[in-house]
Amino acid sequence: MENTAEAPTGERRTSEHLDTDEQRAFRLKAREYMAANLPPRIPGQPANSFEDLELVALDRQIQKKLYDGGLGGYVGITVPEEYGGLGLDRRFEDIFFEEAEPYRLPWHYGNAVVIVLPCLLAHGTEEQKKKYIPRILSGEHLWAQLLSEPSGGSDLAGVLTRAEKRGDEWVLNGSKVWTSGGHVSDMGLCLARSDPTVRKHAGLTMFLVDMHQPGMSVHPIRLVRGGSDFCQEFLDDVIVPDCDVLGDVNDGWTVARTQLNSERAGMARGWHYGLRRAEASAHIEISRRYARLAEELGVSGDADARQLIGEAIVLDAVYDLTSKRAATGARNGALPPTIGMVTSLLSARTSIDRTALMSALAGPVGVAGSPGGDGPDIGMDRVVTHRIGGGTLEMQLNLVSERHLGLPREPGSDRDVPFNQLRHNATPKLAG
Amino acid sequence: MDVELNEDQTMLQEMTRRFLEDRSPIAALRRLVDGGEGFDREVWRQAAELGWVALFVPEENGGIAESAQGVADAAIVAEELGRVVFSGPFLSTCVVAFAIAQSGSEAQRAEWLPGLAAGETLASWCFAGPGTKAGVRAGSVSASRRGDGHVLDGIAAYAEYAEAADLLLVTAQGVQGLSQFVLPAGTAGITVEPMDAMDLGRSLARVRFEGVVAGPEALLGDAGKADEAFERQLQAALVLHCAETVGVTDRAFEFTLEWVNERHAFGRPIGSYQALKHRLADHVMQLEGAKAAAAHAARAVQAGAPDAAIAVSVAKSQCGRSATEIIRDCLQMHGGIGLTWEHDIHFYLRRAVSNEMLWGSPAVHHERLSRLAGI
Repeated sequence: MENTAEAPTGERRTSEHLDTDEQRAFRLKAREYMAANLPPRIPGQPANSFEDLELVALDRQIQKKLYDGGLGGYVGITVPEEYGGLGLDRRFEDIFFEEAEPYRLPWHYGNAVVIVLPCLLAHGTEEQKKKYIPRILSGEHLWAQLLSEPSGGSDLAGVLTRAEKRGDEWVLNGSKVWTSGGHVSDMGLCLARSDPTVRKHAGLTMFLVDMHQPGMSVHPIRLVRGGSDFCQEFLDDVIVPDCDVLGDVNDGWTVARTQLNSERAGMARGWHYGLRRAEASAHIEISRRYARLAEELGVSGDADARQLIGEAIVLDAVYDLTSKRAATGARNGALPPTIGMVTSLLSARTSIDRTALMSALAGPVGVAGSPGGDGPDIGMDRVVTHRIGGGTLEMQLNLVSERHLGLPREPGSDRDVPFNQLRHNATPKLAG
Repeated sequence: MDVELNEDQTMLQEMTRRFLEDRSPIAALRRLVDGGEGFDREVWRQAAELGWVALFVPEENGGIAESAQGVADAAIVAEELGRVVFSGPFLSTCVVAFAIAQSGSEAQRAEWLPGLAAGETLASWCFAGPGTKAGVRAGSVSASRRGDGHVLDGIAAYAEYAEAADLLLVTAQGVQGLSQFVLPAGTAGITVEPMDAMDLGRSLARVRFEGVVAGPEALLGDAGKADEAFERQLQAALVLHCAETVGVTDRAFEFTLEWVNERHAFGRPIGSYQALKHRLADHVMQLEGAKAAAAHAARAVQAGAPDAAIAVSVAKSQCGRSATEIIRDCLQMHGGIGLTWEHDIHFYLRRAVSNEMLWGSPAVHHERLSRLAGI
């Protein structure tokens, strides 16, 4: 429900009145080109669904059209011209998203633009930037992140996938998991262990990996509700040329930190750029869903139900007000930048708490109903709503307590110990 | 609490904090309690000189309302009061001044507001019934017409600082609707019965009205038409109450954070154990939620925004519940010392638990929110 396109409100607010001549010219060019070339934004259509191969293919076309039309392909507006971008400032990007509001944008490029692009810009060689960035902007390359492994996700620096140097090439062996869109991606950003004889953070290297080579097998993962966007990969003598090492050999953790920070920043901004309207209401708006649900369930006059709905209204409003306050406070310096971690934790807690309230409200109606009805969805939300991806709840609690509150870290038994002397987990198979 | 204070408001905040640190730190409450006193009248008079009540009073009646943002500014003061678990008639006097300034006749404003602004007149608002659902509805006192005035009968409970008050604002139920009256506390037929309150820095009383004659000069606004004024006063009170609760929680959380960094067990600070720090992470999250909700409520009420009624109930639920939960757990983290009279934390927890339930418990506000949502 969160990541689907919204119906247009009818009244569109733009910042057109602030445009300079140059900005106005860009706006009109974007407006005209989009009207002629982009498909409309369909309310309820998912922003991304890697299972929907047609939608993925459509996004590849849209990205190419935006690039060919001189609009920089979704997020190339601020990318330097030598890497295929437009070399303009953020204001032009804002204009682009204002104009794009009636149309679908290529949101399947989320990984590529939110994570890979900043990593390439920060750590790539000239050769890498000139080779890979234009291919992202033009729609040629979809990217996956090959980070987590079946042996562990939170302890990212503990990855087991081995990278061995043979001549001018690196040979990678191991398994990666929870890669969004692994089965449709062209390239992957892969963290692997290049030196197991040093402590765990020191022996890592980041690689730019071609996903279409024979040693790479990709298997979609089936989650509890059915399908998913996720895959598990098995790397069996996957070959990476030396020129595709990103950053320095054995300094992969530095790149990984950029990657994680980009991911967090992307989540804070809203992963699917341009999906949400920037202008949010200044007032608390009570979701009409609750009144509708109470009526459908026939509990509008029930004291217990009214308590649960009241609580849900508080939950929604507090989340909304807290994230707005955090954004304002971080911008004007009244709050530290780490406040974003608090909002992120609140987002996890809120979604979990809301499913509990809705499940209590619906009672047995939420777990079994007439075939085709939406009753059991309420109960299933309770089954599938967790915070695991994008940093588990426990990691978020660590971040808030250590970075935001400044509390001391727990001593770890893996510091200053060569990686190959640590105890490791097995590598289970998660995909069928 | 609010991340968008203007320069005047930042100054008000700093001035209030300095004044309280100097004249009424938490140690002052301990002294008052040990000495069996309610509150320090001299501190209250000095505080009034700083303009705490004058925020609601127009210039012609001795106040500074024109150059202030009444409820929003008073919320800044209230938050600071919470940090030291202040004992004094701030909320009650402010809300009565607010009511008289908003609904009073010229004569009523001239008679009462200068004394309230100067800290010489203390006031209490009597409206709540005695039951478990008390706090957001009036009606336990009835007003019936007699001649050109009214006769009041009934009991109002949880009236703040009524025992010390010179002036009572009474919201009473008549046949046509709510009516409000301002009466000197010594009016015949009024009996103030102090309640035994767990919050040691708050005076609460039951006020009994037995055939109290209120003449036309006591009627505030029009008879039977005070519903809107009542809601506005309630909103103002809730804003101040929530802001205070935020201050209470913020300060208790602050010294608990210092404590878990300093206190060692098994060779390291107790704050390094995930068993504690994960809880503290959740607490700071709820506290940020309380600050955001309370700050929004203050701005919405001050601006008369369309969501003001919703905003105060959201804030009351969030602030009330999180304060108790957080400070209760902060006490737990202090270990045995937290349960001693000598440690300050019990003053904070007493106020938190008390604030959660006064002015409408979370359940009362959840019900109110369902109603406001049209359910």
